[in-house]
Amino acid sequence: MNTLMRWIGIAVVIFIAAPLVIVVPMSFSTAASLQFPPPGYSWGYYQQFFSDPSWLRPAWNSIYIATMNTLLTMALVVPATFALVRHKFWGKSFANLMMMMPMAVPHIVMAVGYYSYFGELKLVHSKLGVILAHTCLSVPITFLVLSANLKGFDLTLERAARSLGATPGQVFRHITLPILKPGLAISALFAFIQSFDETVVAIFISGRDAETLPRKMFDSIREEADPVIAVISTLLFAVVFAGLIAPSLIKGLRRMAKGTPSK
Amino acid sequence: MGLSLSALAERKTLWPWLLLAPLTIYLALFFLVPLVEVALMSVTEPRPGLANYEKVLTGSLYRKVFLNTFGTALLVTLCCLLVGYPLAYLMSTVSKRAAMGILLLITMSFWTSFLVRTYAWMVLLGNNGPVVWLMQTLGIAEPPPLLFTRFSSTLAMVHILAPYMIMNIYTVMQKIDPSLIRSAESMGAYGKSLFRHIYLPLTAPGIANGSVLVFVICLGFYVTPVLLGSPREQMAAGLIGNQIEQFLAFGLGSAMSIVLLVVTLVILGIYHRRFGLDKLYG
Repeated sequence: MNTLMRWIGIAVVIFIAAPLVIVVPMSFSTAASLQFPPPGYSWGYYQQFFSDPSWLRPAWNSIYIATMNTLLTMALVVPATFALVRHKFWGKSFANLMMMMPMAVPHIVMAVGYYSYFGELKLVHSKLGVILAHTCLSVPITFLVLSANLKGFDLTLERAARSLGATPGQVFRHITLPILKPGLAISALFAFIQSFDETVVAIFISGRDAETLPRKMFDSIREEADPVIAVISTLLFAVVFAGLIAPSLIKGLRRMAKGTPSK
Repeated sequence: MGLSLSALAERKTLWPWLLLAPLTIYLALFFLVPLVEVALMSVTEPRPGLANYEKVLTGSLYRKVFLNTFGTALLVTLCCLLVGYPLAYLMSTVSKRAAMGILLLITMSFWTSFLVRTYAWMVLLGNNGPVVWLMQTLGIAEPPPLLFTRFSSTLAMVHILAPYMIMNIYTVMQKIDPSLIRSAESMGAYGKSLFRHIYLPLTAPGIANGSVLVFVICLGFYVTPVLLGSPREQMAAGLIGNQIEQFLAFGLGSAMSIVLLVVTLVILGIYHRRFGLDKLYG
């Protein structure tokens, strides 16, 4: 039983890794279509991506929309999370449920709703429309990450500062905010990724003017499976990899700088 | 401290709701209103009445699509379990470093966009791809069509959703006290019976969490079935998309959306009653 499970486990590792590994050589291919192994290698499709406005515009749109989405989401979610974690009040369990609701609704259902609602508001085919929609969808994950951080916050630190004569404003600025900074950064990152990756709602409401990268990729895969997608996949993949590796690299560097061997 | 007791009590309920107010108003305007609009469209488009629901709930095309959606979601959940359980087991038995390596791989897969992973499966299963090449090398002259079938979309969905299952099971497996296993072994429980009576019950919460999550996400899956699946075996989300984009049948699309939403909420509601929704994604 044990050995069988282990062998299946190893097979699953390959199953999970294979699709992630395959797109990298594809991005350097010289073939005009999906061919593996590639007949030759070149930077051709990278040059094509970085010189083609029909790919660069959606990429910039996505970055812009995700940034705005992050700012708006944080402005709304941070105060709400403080209320929910730090206070007991009437209607709290309802408020908790409310924060989670956008996660429970399938995106296709929201897409239908936004398509018609934003049509009436003249927000279809606009970046603002996508930002407003994405912000709703980013609320649950941002709230979950931030509330987990806030729950671990040691309140005695704030009380100590208060007893030493700090005003509530000073406590927030000098105690609460610095301690909470990593948690805020991570929840903001989650909000950003949620928007940057969101595909379904963007397909229905972003139109040609506010076309996001996932929408452009979706259309391109559906129509012709353009090999440029392998380039974007590799680039996105590199960002994810760097994001996951960076923290441990920084830790290692710090340890080395301090002179203690890193394990 | 100068506040009187009643003022303090008042502040206690007012202040949190003041902090919550912007978000509450925002969600009401940009989350609730669009949802209500879907519900309204389902009973008013093209004319008032329940005709859309009648069609969606009794029409043979819709029944086929909904059955296909449930069947696929069930199959994907089962496959994720069959794939995820052994991997979580492997992770909890190998060295810490190897476990971290596998964890990194799963995290990376999780954070890689749905679209990228769907595209990768297109390359893998394509006519000029490695799988077909391998089959030809093994002597299968005419490999069966892999892409744009139920097989390819199911496989890709299993790959995309497996991390949810694995993480949920791995989290509970990690917490199992090894001495519990040892004492069971010392009392003569080995192999199958150890697994059935000790391991399986202890990991059941992780299995439940992962299965609910995978099933619910799969029910509403749009991107992968549309790109990789067979056009003749659509899933609910794909058909909703068609009705809105191609046929402009807002009433039918909305009615299907509401059915999909109700089913999803019922499943999550049962889960919420028993375990609490916040645990599902935590």
